[in-house]
Amino acid sequence: MHPLRDKPRVGLFTFAVTAVALLSGCEGSQSALQPAGPAAQDIALLWWWMLGTSAVIVFAVVGLWLYAQFRRPPPASSEQPAPEQAGMRHTAAVDRIIARRWLIGGGLILPTVTMVVLLAFGIPMGHRMLPLPLPEAPLRIEVTGHQWWWEVHYPEQGITTANQIHIPAGRPVDFHLASADVIHAFWVPQLGGKLDMIPGRTNVLRLQADAPGRFRGQCAEFCGLQHARMRFTVEALPEEAFAQWVAARQADEARPVRDAGAPSAQVFEAHCSQCHSVAGTPATGGPDLRHLHSRTLLGAGTLRHDGDGLQRWLREHQHLKPGNHMPAHDHLDDDTLSALVDWLRRQQ
Amino acid sequence: MSEQQTTRATRAAVWHNPTGWRALTVVSHSVIGKRFMLTGLVFFLVGGLLAMLIRAQLAFPDQAFMSSDIYNQVFTMHGTVMMFLFALPMLEGLAMYMIPKMIGARDLAFPRLGAFGYFCYLFGGLILMASIVLALAPASGWFMYTPLSSDVFSPGVNSDFWLLGVTFVEIAAVTAGIELLVSILRTRTAGMSLSKMPLFVWYILVTSVMVVFGFPPLILGSILLELERAGGLAFFDVARGGDPLLWQHLFWLFGHPEVYIIFLPAAGVISTLIPVFARRPIVGYRAVVLAVLTTGFISFGLWVHHMFTVGIPQLAQAFFSVASMLVAVPTAIQIFAWLATLWGGRPVFSLPMLWVFGFLVVFVFGGLTGVMLALVPFNWQVHDTHFVVAHMHYVLIGGMLFPLVAGIYYWLPLFTGRMPSMQLGRWGFWLCFIGFNLTFLVMHFTGLLGMPRRVYTYEAGLGWDIPNLISSVGGFVMCAGVAMVLIDLLTHARFGRKAKANPWHADTLEWSMAAPPPTWNFDLLPRVHDRHPSHDAQLQEETWLPDMHHGRRETLGCDPVSGEPRQVIHLPANSWWPFVCALALAALCVSLLVRAYPLAAFIALLSVGLLSAWSWHNGLRKPHARALPAPDPLPMHFTGFDSPGLWGTNAALLASGSLFMSMLFGWFYLWTVAPLWQFPETSPLAWPLLLTVCLLCSLAALLYRRTLVRLRTGDGAALPRTLWAVAGIGLVACAALIALLRAPLDITGQAHDAVILVMLLYLLMHAGVATLATLLQLRRVALGYVSAAAPFEVPIVRQLWRYTQLIAWILLLVLIAFPQSWGVY
Repeated sequence: MHPLRDKPRVGLFTFAVTAVALLSGCEGSQSALQPAGPAAQDIALLWWWMLGTSAVIVFAVVGLWLYAQFRRPPPASSEQPAPEQAGMRHTAAVDRIIARRWLIGGGLILPTVTMVVLLAFGIPMGHRMLPLPLPEAPLRIEVTGHQWWWEVHYPEQGITTANQIHIPAGRPVDFHLASADVIHAFWVPQLGGKLDMIPGRTNVLRLQADAPGRFRGQCAEFCGLQHARMRFTVEALPEEAFAQWVAARQADEARPVRDAGAPSAQVFEAHCSQCHSVAGTPATGGPDLRHLHSRTLLGAGTLRHDGDGLQRWLREHQHLKPGNHMPAHDHLDDDTLSALVDWLRRQQ
Repeated sequence: MSEQQTTRATRAAVWHNPTGWRALTVVSHSVIGKRFMLTGLVFFLVGGLLAMLIRAQLAFPDQAFMSSDIYNQVFTMHGTVMMFLFALPMLEGLAMYMIPKMIGARDLAFPRLGAFGYFCYLFGGLILMASIVLALAPASGWFMYTPLSSDVFSPGVNSDFWLLGVTFVEIAAVTAGIELLVSILRTRTAGMSLSKMPLFVWYILVTSVMVVFGFPPLILGSILLELERAGGLAFFDVARGGDPLLWQHLFWLFGHPEVYIIFLPAAGVISTLIPVFARRPIVGYRAVVLAVLTTGFISFGLWVHHMFTVGIPQLAQAFFSVASMLVAVPTAIQIFAWLATLWGGRPVFSLPMLWVFGFLVVFVFGGLTGVMLALVPFNWQVHDTHFVVAHMHYVLIGGMLFPLVAGIYYWLPLFTGRMPSMQLGRWGFWLCFIGFNLTFLVMHFTGLLGMPRRVYTYEAGLGWDIPNLISSVGGFVMCAGVAMVLIDLLTHARFGRKAKANPWHADTLEWSMAAPPPTWNFDLLPRVHDRHPSHDAQLQEETWLPDMHHGRRETLGCDPVSGEPRQVIHLPANSWWPFVCALALAALCVSLLVRAYPLAAFIALLSVGLLSAWSWHNGLRKPHARALPAPDPLPMHFTGFDSPGLWGTNAALLASGSLFMSMLFGWFYLWTVAPLWQFPETSPLAWPLLLTVCLLCSLAALLYRRTLVRLRTGDGAALPRTLWAVAGIGLVACAALIALLRAPLDITGQAHDAVILVMLLYLLMHAGVATLATLLQLRRVALGYVSAAAPFEVPIVRQLWRYTQLIAWILLLVLIAFPQSWGVY
């Protein structure tokens, strides 16, 4: 039984109908066929046109083939010559005419025309998706791929969080993509195409959500054991709500550690603080926990962060997401873990 | 009558294939071809089983049927097995079996090389299989992107299995490529000019050239990655001046041509079958040949379309986007040539045509999604999703498996002399066709719904559940279809009815012989007058090489263009050497795998010794200089200068040249693109020393040239003297190179130094091989095996020196002169 298995089942041929239902689903959709931004919209439109054209071409070619194979033989065939001689009736001149008609029509003109049309639409479309300079600089968000989670940094706002990205709706956002270990790919299908995160480089992907909503994303470049559970969400908020969210997170960033003297603080110090930071303590490797309370999912989309979610994660994370780089906490008893969870909750 | 029987007995004795343990010595192309195909079939079943495991895991959301570790091994090995152990070896096996029969030769030009390639393939495949059994299989995906496959993120031996095993298997691919290339150009029967070659032979010719050029980049990449993993050398690590994208370039520089290397032979099958069943010659023979050549050419210029999401400049993306779509033109030309042929003929329908029809439907659709994927914005959305998985199965299963089965059914009467069961065959087809489309048509939508590839599980409720279940059901339906076909193929040899001679009324040469054919293929090599030799009543009017009482295996050596006979090629007979040498290389591979480097060094030396011994024994060990008696007014190949061995050497040097060019690409790529690439203050290399090496190699090449000029006038007096001089020069050059290698290179710290090391080692290897070959030749001159009367080996060794000279000068330019003039040192 999976913690997230609570949404409607959707069949292949009903995906269009259930678009609305999925959009209203609380974790959002991951379908490129339910575009929610200009880039994804263009690509989806492109797809439907290409699908239609391809269907026509496939049916035409297969139809021609079947006709050629099974058509009734012309009357001359009543005294059909022996097969050995059949082919010899065709003179070179006839051959040339047939060749010209079929090979030039189908072999040259058809693909060339298709390609020119496709590129005439496709190249400008791709150009529009590039992070070209704008009169008003878009919001900059730096996302770093880790095995197997996403570090999210808002340099202008001074916020560092993980796995859940908030953006303002209705205006472009530039995602500056990098990697801390292997190659990952950042992909939010409802907003647009994907781009790789490569060690030593920074790639910039521009996305925009047309309206407020929640969109799922997932790592698209195979990155090891938990490639499947390297998920994230993008939440597009109305302008004021986004400003409020930024303000709340900035407050989180400025907040000192609470209950620094509690026994749980020592547990955290001993077991967690090397990788995880609360209140800006220096740590590398794991997600920053200052904004943990604001996140609705744990383990990069593995588990819902509600009720006893956090406790369950701490106890069973190697079972829920085997191979993740956080050591198992088998040696910590339930009481210690509960106290630790309470202490982490108090850090908001 | 009894004279005929003696003749036949003589032929059987000369071309005898021993049984028992000595079956390992067999070199006959028919046997080797069949071994390739049967081994390929076994690997296909393994790959298929792995595919079924994948479909079982993905049938339902959140399945825990396999852990992520095992799942990653399974999908990595599925791709690896299907691409490297099934698709290409299977097609090469088919080509090795068919080509001599279609061009009128008694065997391939280098029968022992074929046997050697087979054993390399077999042993490499077994090493990869061992990794599955040990649950240590590679788990970084079949294209092994680094840094995931590096020693940091894949510390186990898993990736080493891939890098070493696949490289070993690729030796087989390249040797088969060289062998087919030279055989097609040099061993056609009398009168078979290029324009009279069957289309299938054209396809294989282009494919083999592509293999020769296409595989070396991956061989280089694998060697570099293994050096980085095992020896800590810096090539792909950003922090040390490398770049992981270099691996992607090298991989796809191989990987994209590979797709066409697999598709073209299969398309060749289609181009062979359609005219036969349409009962008319192909429409647009020239256009098809041109299309095949164009496909081969373009396929080397579009590898970057696998990398549209890595963030390359827009102009480059547009270029590769256009190039990728451009390949649709030659493909469309072929498809419409087939259509026109059917249209203009009087088609009959039979089992092979059913599979051809399946090919057409599936491949056209796969081609169209390929055009879609070439469009950059769409690619950004569906790249690395199940859409791509669906697309590539459409082009690979549609473009390779369906034609392959069509071809197997078509040539079955030739293989075994019996007909397949039409009933079982039809069931098999429809199950495969329906199962395939259920699996993969739906999978396009799975990808569009947002499911990435290579995820070991997915959560419910994203709309992926039902499409995945349909795909899994379809996969098992296809499995049943494959089983049906296999049962048909396995049982027909016993229960099938006897085939008539040429049951499909085909026009190519292979149908003019007995089925199943004798090991020597043709009693008499015929003269071909047109493209329809088996419909040619005058085929047997002029025949060649009837006599085998001399006990030699022989075939005709032809002019590469006109096909006119130029010489008689003496073919080597059965031998242990191929098996022994492949076994030694397998031991080398295993010792590298377990990182027993002293042992590996020993085995490497042993292998060099064994390969030299093989080359020694392969040559003629008695001075031959006789002209053939009438009625064969042709010289033996070893009395001239233009031997098949020279062509084989040139083809091998082309492959090596492709490796060298990939190396140069790596150097310039890292120099210009790697984020943290650094030049040291001054070049670590002593340029006077490298210049000396260049001059010495040029001197050696010059001396060889002079002695060759003299040999051509029949003067072999200076031969020993010259060879002594060249061998001495070679030894000095090698010593100079070793001195050069003592430069203070920080190979584990800087990619710059690591690349220089690899390039110098490559030069040393070539200089060493050329020197060794010269020394061996010196000995053969002393024994009288090589002389003015039998000079054919001299131009071969000369080529080695010319090539060594060429790369030495290029390295001087590229490693020292060019950076100096650029001012980077």
